[in-house]
Amino acid sequence: MKFGIFFELSTPRPFTRQNEWDVYHNGLEQCRVADELGFDHVWAVEHHFLEEYSHCSSPEVFLAAVAAQTQRIRVGHGAVVCVPEMNHPVRVAERAAVLDIISNGRLELGTARSSTWTELGGFEVNPDDTKKTWDEFVRVLPKMWTQDEFEWQGKAFSMPARNVLPKPLQDPHPPVWVTVTTPGTELDAAERGLGCLGVSAAGYEEQERRTREYYRRIDNCDPVGSVVNDQVHTMNFLYCHEDYRQAKAVGVPMIIAFNVANTHLYWTREAYPTRAYQTMGNAGGAMKEGKVDPEDPSVAKGLPEGVGIGDPDHLIRTIERWESIGVTGINFLLNAMEMIPQAEVLESLRLFATEVMPRFQTDAERRAMVSTPTSIPVPAALRAIGGGQA
Amino acid sequence: MIVGTANIDELAANAATIADFQTDPVELGGVECFQLVAEMRNTARESVLPAGLHPTIPASVSIQAWNVAESPWGPFSMALVRVSCRSGVRARGFSTRAVVTTQASADGLGGVYGFPTEVGEVSFRRSYDGVDVEVQQGGAQILAITALDPDPMGLHDVQYTGTLNLAQTPQGLRLVQVEAHHAATRVERVTARLSRFDGTAWGNALLDPYYVVAASVAVEEVTMPAVRFVCKPEELAFTGTEPVR
Repeated sequence: MKFGIFFELSTPRPFTRQNEWDVYHNGLEQCRVADELGFDHVWAVEHHFLEEYSHCSSPEVFLAAVAAQTQRIRVGHGAVVCVPEMNHPVRVAERAAVLDIISNGRLELGTARSSTWTELGGFEVNPDDTKKTWDEFVRVLPKMWTQDEFEWQGKAFSMPARNVLPKPLQDPHPPVWVTVTTPGTELDAAERGLGCLGVSAAGYEEQERRTREYYRRIDNCDPVGSVVNDQVHTMNFLYCHEDYRQAKAVGVPMIIAFNVANTHLYWTREAYPTRAYQTMGNAGGAMKEGKVDPEDPSVAKGLPEGVGIGDPDHLIRTIERWESIGVTGINFLLNAMEMIPQAEVLESLRLFATEVMPRFQTDAERRAMVSTPTSIPVPAALRAIGGGQA
Repeated sequence: MIVGTANIDELAANAATIADFQTDPVELGGVECFQLVAEMRNTARESVLPAGLHPTIPASVSIQAWNVAESPWGPFSMALVRVSCRSGVRARGFSTRAVVTTQASADGLGGVYGFPTEVGEVSFRRSYDGVDVEVQQGGAQILAITALDPDPMGLHDVQYTGTLNLAQTPQGLRLVQVEAHHAATRVERVTARLSRFDGTAWGNALLDPYYVVAASVAVEEVTMPAVRFVCKPEELAFTGTEPVR
């Protein structure tokens, strides 16, 4: 089981310079602490115009700072929005390669297409096209990273032959993921040999279905890259405290605030009739009224099912449940709109690392630079600088 | 989180009255339903909603026009303006004004579901090459939309959010939750131009649908279930929602 931290960089009103500074710099400190504690990943999303919910519009800049301030934690650039109005694929490949180099081969690249009209409309993107352009992006990015001469005639973009530079440090290229919000995207991930990166907090039942479908297809995938990334990570919230009642008192309001901010966004399906968006994005998770298991330890304590809010024993049982349904990693959101003071966020992280993580990882695993797909060979350059994956 | 800041007394000035909550659904047959979604500037974002509702980001309105062939109140047409919003975490549209073509439908939609109805002239023409919607009240044009180039869509490709109507009810002044079920047999996306919109006539001069996102037209049957829940207009839905008694 891998553990990561996950940043939307949600920011409280009013949007003062101080508030924006606090969110970014508290986030950087959380990354440094997570690195020291042995967390495996730090992920930063790409969102635009999403007031309060996410001010993470230039994740590659944030992650460059993370890479510079950490030693071992892997850097998750994701998900990059794969529509050409927001990101030209060459620029995605270039930025990712540079991040991989400066992080000493620690990059993971997530891909997505955006689910809000708030974002797509701001860039005048036709929602009908985003699934198509995403597919085109994920097929060309590995080629740009591995071919000395790349040329393309496609729908999202075309270009004459060029050498896209630099090439990433990881050989043949960094692991590629796709964010899974709407049901069915896990199949897209499996069929293309991409990692399944959950970004909405699905319940056990829905996640088990996704995971089962994913693993059923991944063995017969037609990989878009040179390697298959066969991991299933999910998103969760984290607030760990010795007293579960205190954890609940602090953590649950954070979840509610985050979900409410999420639902303020204007979903593409709500604004624009299209076959390309069949659900209301992340709001589906926030609004779900699915069945819950009364025997679940979270539910028994009056907590939402499966969330990382509680005392260490409770979190161990919760994570064991996730592990039992095939989840190989959990990425935790630590705060929302700075509702939890930074000192308490760091205390929660430390308690989780001390009391919970050892139940799922050995000391050696936690000390090592984190490996992702075992099929990725260790690059010579990485061995030369003293890093290296197992 | 942001919430509405509108003066509740001003919002209530045109509120309908529901004397008793009806227990049976209302079936509307042979319905043509046009829906246009447009963004508003954020200057009006909070000021057009009561404190119990959250605006969307960006602020937006949905404009609907209905031709109804069969209803308990006879045939009628309606034009409805709603501000897109959130009640708790649920996507809703807050009605600012509805113009209907008959007094019977005005009384029915207002008295059963709390729609803020007025009688006026609603012209909604659907053809193979497009849609025209025009609303006049007191001899003045208050809405004009031209939509062209119908593009067939799947029957479930249009999202209709539930409606909240501010109305006087047996439980007091409340936001009345109306969940219409649309069973479409034909859905088309159209390219629309909003050439006339009189915000004042539609309930608030600040209403400013300046950027049309998309529009659709559907042929359908509509079921409007009995009202089950109401909300206190100045309290968030998490605590302010009540079942109908």
